[in-house]
Amino acid sequence: MTESSSEVEARQLRPGLWATVNERYPGSMITKSDLVPLAPLRKPLSECRVTFISTSGVQPKGTLPFDTVHPVGDYTFRRVPSDSRIEDLEIHQLKYPTAGADRDLNVIFPIERLRELVADGVIGGLTENFYTFIGYNMDPERLESTLAEDIAAAVSAEGADIALAAPA
Amino acid sequence: MQRAVERRGIPTVSPTVARDVTEHAKPPRAVFLPFLMGHLFGVPHHVALQRRIIMECLGRVTDAPESGDIHTLPISWSTARREGIEIERGLGLRG
Repeated sequence: MTESSSEVEARQLRPGLWATVNERYPGSMITKSDLVPLAPLRKPLSECRVTFISTSGVQPKGTLPFDTVHPVGDYTFRRVPSDSRIEDLEIHQLKYPTAGADRDLNVIFPIERLRELVADGVIGGLTENFYTFIGYNMDPERLESTLAEDIAAAVSAEGADIALAAPA
Repeated sequence: MQRAVERRGIPTVSPTVARDVTEHAKPPRAVFLPFLMGHLFGVPHHVALQRRIIMECLGRVTDAPESGDIHTLPISWSTARREGIEIERGLGLRG
């Protein structure tokens, strides 16, 4: 782990990719010109209840699978109890490689690591549920006006102090 | 998504493997990792790396100087993979 940040970026970034996607599928990529004011953290990390929001498509076995083949996407979400066992979860998505997740789900859905941080007293706790959806949604405005607000309301109702939000 | 949550007074932070997409979407706080998609928190069974990435993200909640901040972690994918393979060998999960 000795590379500098600039060296990593120079080798790993994909210049032009975003523009290419938006050229082929106009409006499909989110573009914002404004910045949202930062909400302040109101208590020490060790007292904070953390929630996890993910586009991983991870969901409890037996729940309605995400519609991974709908042409404009699936704007629903699933609740994943934060005390779930990994063997009780499954992935429904088509947009990222699951080579790692198939061996250890924590690489995309670090539910065990988050529970360990609670057990070690690093964070105060977890919300009762984590929240998942799929990343393939071709209408960003619809996502913003429905799915984003639905999940924001849900994590607020669960008393989250911090949201770790992970685009797969 | 992050913006909707942040507007409700809940600080958000996002790991990302796609810096260009993040620059356009402008979430409040992001941590860029030059990893393969689907591997935001590293590689299988590399518990220390998975935990480090979570902690780096949580640290940005208080350390990010302004909205739209993207913090780069100087960890290469090749290093992460190499360490992960060694760990899995040690666990007897690969030959």
